[in-house]
Amino acid sequence: MSDATLKKAIVKPSGVAGENRTRALIAGIPARLFILAIIVIWTVPTVGLLVSSFRTPQAIANTGWWNGLARFTEWSQWTLANYERVLFADQMANAFFNSLLITIPSTVIPITIAAFAAYAIAWMVFPGRKIVFVIIVGLLIVPLQMALIPVLRVYTRHDINGTYLGMWLAHTGFGLPLATYMLYGYISSIPKSILESAHADGATPWMMFTRLVLPLSIPAIASFSIFQFLWVWNDLLVALVFFGTRRPIVTTRLAELVGSRGQTWHVLTAGAFVTMVVPLIIFFSLQRYFVRGMMAGSVKG
Amino acid sequence: MRKSLRFAVTALVMLVLSASLAMAGAQAERTVDATNPTGNPWTDGQDLSGTEVVLFGAWVDEDATRFEAAMQPFIEQTGINAVYEGSGDFEALVTVRAEGGDPPDIAVFPQPGLMTDLYDQGHVIDLRNWFDESDLLASYDQSWIDMSRHPAGSIMGVWYRTNVKSLVWYPPAVFEAEGYEIPTTWDELLALSDRMVADGYTPWSIGMESAGATGWVGTDWIEDIMLRIHPPEVYDAWVAGDLPFDSPEVREAFEYLAEIWKNPDYVLGGAGSILTVPFGDGANPLVTDPPRALMHRQASFITGFLPDGTTVGPDGDINFFYLPQIRSELGDPVLVAGDILSAMVDRPEVRAVMNYLATGESTRAWLEQGGFVAPHSDVPLSWYPAEDRPYAEIVQNADVVRFDASDLMPGAVGTGSFWTAMVDFVSGDSLDDVLPAVDASWPD
Repeated sequence: MSDATLKKAIVKPSGVAGENRTRALIAGIPARLFILAIIVIWTVPTVGLLVSSFRTPQAIANTGWWNGLARFTEWSQWTLANYERVLFADQMANAFFNSLLITIPSTVIPITIAAFAAYAIAWMVFPGRKIVFVIIVGLLIVPLQMALIPVLRVYTRHDINGTYLGMWLAHTGFGLPLATYMLYGYISSIPKSILESAHADGATPWMMFTRLVLPLSIPAIASFSIFQFLWVWNDLLVALVFFGTRRPIVTTRLAELVGSRGQTWHVLTAGAFVTMVVPLIIFFSLQRYFVRGMMAGSVKG
Repeated sequence: MRKSLRFAVTALVMLVLSASLAMAGAQAERTVDATNPTGNPWTDGQDLSGTEVVLFGAWVDEDATRFEAAMQPFIEQTGINAVYEGSGDFEALVTVRAEGGDPPDIAVFPQPGLMTDLYDQGHVIDLRNWFDESDLLASYDQSWIDMSRHPAGSIMGVWYRTNVKSLVWYPPAVFEAEGYEIPTTWDELLALSDRMVADGYTPWSIGMESAGATGWVGTDWIEDIMLRIHPPEVYDAWVAGDLPFDSPEVREAFEYLAEIWKNPDYVLGGAGSILTVPFGDGANPLVTDPPRALMHRQASFITGFLPDGTTVGPDGDINFFYLPQIRSELGDPVLVAGDILSAMVDRPEVRAVMNYLATGESTRAWLEQGGFVAPHSDVPLSWYPAEDRPYAEIVQNADVVRFDASDLMPGAVGTGSFWTAMVDFVSGDSLDDVLPAVDASWPD
C-alpha cells in the first residue's frame, strides 16, 4: 500500500463528479479496509484495558474482557473501585500537580532551544555547522540509560539531585537531539526565496527567525510539543533516578499503588486511563497543528 | 504572527509560573520537634535532632506506610527525621544511586545477594565497626547473624522482616467435613493427597508463572525439600557452590518434587498448567465454591493475593499448616526470606537509626498492624495480633532456619539458570540435561 494510493483515496472523491467518483471509491476500498484493519488492531488492546478497568480483580482473573462484554448484564463483575482507588489515593492530586510542574518546563525549554539551534544550523553560515549537525544526529542513537550514572554524579556534586531544576535539565538534555533534528527537517524546507527576499528587504537574522521562521514552524513545534509532553509525562525511569519518590509524581505514585509484590495490579488498568486524560487534553487542543506537523520534513522541495 | 507571539508568551508565563511554584514547594518541608533528643537509648546521648536520614527500599504503598509508622516512635524520641522512600524498581535504582554518588543512607534489601554485590564494591558499611556481635545477639539468634555475614566475616546488615515460606494452605471447612488430618510427615502428606484423589478432589494447586521471574516458585519447593532431606551443612555447601546441582543430593530433592508435581492426578490442570498459572492466582482455587484444589504451598504473603473478603484462620476460608518434615532426625527446618537493612553512609544519625532497627522494639508498630513477622528474638509473641502468631511461632520454634537459597546464590544462577532449570524440569526435560546446565552457568 503506497502513499500515493492512500492520498488518492483521501483526496480524489471531493469535487469530482459521477463515474469518476464511483471508480475512485472502488479503487479506494482496499486502502480503506487496510486502514480499518490497522485501526482495529491498534485499538483492541486499549478497549480491552478500558473494559478491564471497570471489572473486579476476580472477574479479570477468571475471564477475559470479551466475556465481560458478552455477558454484559452480569452486574457483579462491574465496579468503579479501581478508579476510586486511583483517584482518591493519598497524594494523587499532589502527584498530578508535580507532574505538570515537571512536564511543562521540560517541554518548553528543549523546544525553545531546539528552534534556535535548528534555525542556526539550517540557515546561518558558520564554520563547523555540518559537524554540529552530525553530532546531534549521532546523539539521537545514544540510549539515555547510558547517561544516568554520569549525569547523576554531576547532579550529586552540584546538589541539584531531587530538584525540579534537575528534572528540567535532564529532560531537556534527553529531548534536545530529537527536537533539533525534527525542527531542522522542517525549517530547512522553508523555501529559500522567502528568506532571501526578507534578507533583501533588510531583515536581520533575528527578525527573520521571529517573524518568518517561527510562525511557519508552528505545526512542527506543536507536534514535537506533543511528543515531548507525552514522553516526559509518562516517564518513570528518569523520575525515579533524578527525582526520587519523596515528592510524588503520577508515574511513581501509580507504580507504588500496585503494592510491594504487585498484588493490586488491577488498579493499573484504571491508572492508565486516569493518566491519559492530561495528554489527551494537550493532544486535542493542539490537534489542528499536529496533523500538519506530521508531514514535517516529508514534503521537502 | 500574532499567534506565534501568543504561543511564546504563554510558554514563558507557564515556565515562570512553574519555576516559582517549584521553589515554593521546595521550602514547604516538614519540621520535626523532638520531645527528648538526648535521653533516648539510640543516640548515645547526643542531640541529633533536626538531622535527616534517608531510607530506601522496595516496600511501597501499604508496606511503606506501615514502616513509617514503625519509625515514628524513634522520630519522636530523637528528633531525627527518618524519611523512607520506596520504589518497586529498588534493585536497579540502588545500584545506579550508589554508582552515581548519591546512595541512600540506609538501604532495605529484599534479598542479600544484591547487598553482597554492593558490599564488594565498597558501598555498604561493615557493621562490626558500629556494633559488637554480642550486642546483636541480644536481639537476634545466631543463625540470623550468620545469614547477614559476608564470606569474609563482616556483618553487612541487620534483619528486619521475614517471610515464612514453608507453609501449605488449605480450606479448613473441607478438611473438617472430610475428616482430613493435618499431615506431620511427608509420607502423611502424600497419603493425604492420595485420599483426596480417591475422594474426587484435586489435591494441589501449583502456579509458577511470574513474568521474567518465572521459576522461583519451583526453587522454593526444591529449597524446602533440600532442608528436609539433608543436614543444614549440605544446604550451605549447595548455596556456596561447593555442592554441584548435578549431585545425588540435589537429584534426590528433584525426585521428591516430582512425586507431587509430575503426578497428573495431584496437580490442578496437570503438570502443564504449572507453567502458565500466575503465582498470585495459585491459592485462588482453594477458596472457590466448591474448591477446585485443596492444598497450595506458598509463603505467608499469598494472603495479599486472595480475593477481597477472604478470611484467614482455623475458622476462615483458608488456613495453613507447616510443610511437614521428611526425615525426623533433621527436625523441623524453616525456609525464610526477608528484608535486611544496610548502612551505606556513616553519620552519627545513621548509626542511631541502625541502633533502633536492630532491636525488636522497632518492629512493634508494624507487627501490631498485622502481616509482619520479625526476625528479632527479643519480640515477645504477645505483641503479635492473633492471626500472625502462628507464623511467628513457626519461626521461633524452628530447629533450623535457612534463607532462600536462590536469593543467596550468584545472580546468574539464583535469578537465572536455577529458575530456567525449574521451567525445563516442568516442561519434561531430563535431570541429566537440566542439572549440568545450572552447574555450567555458575560464575567462577
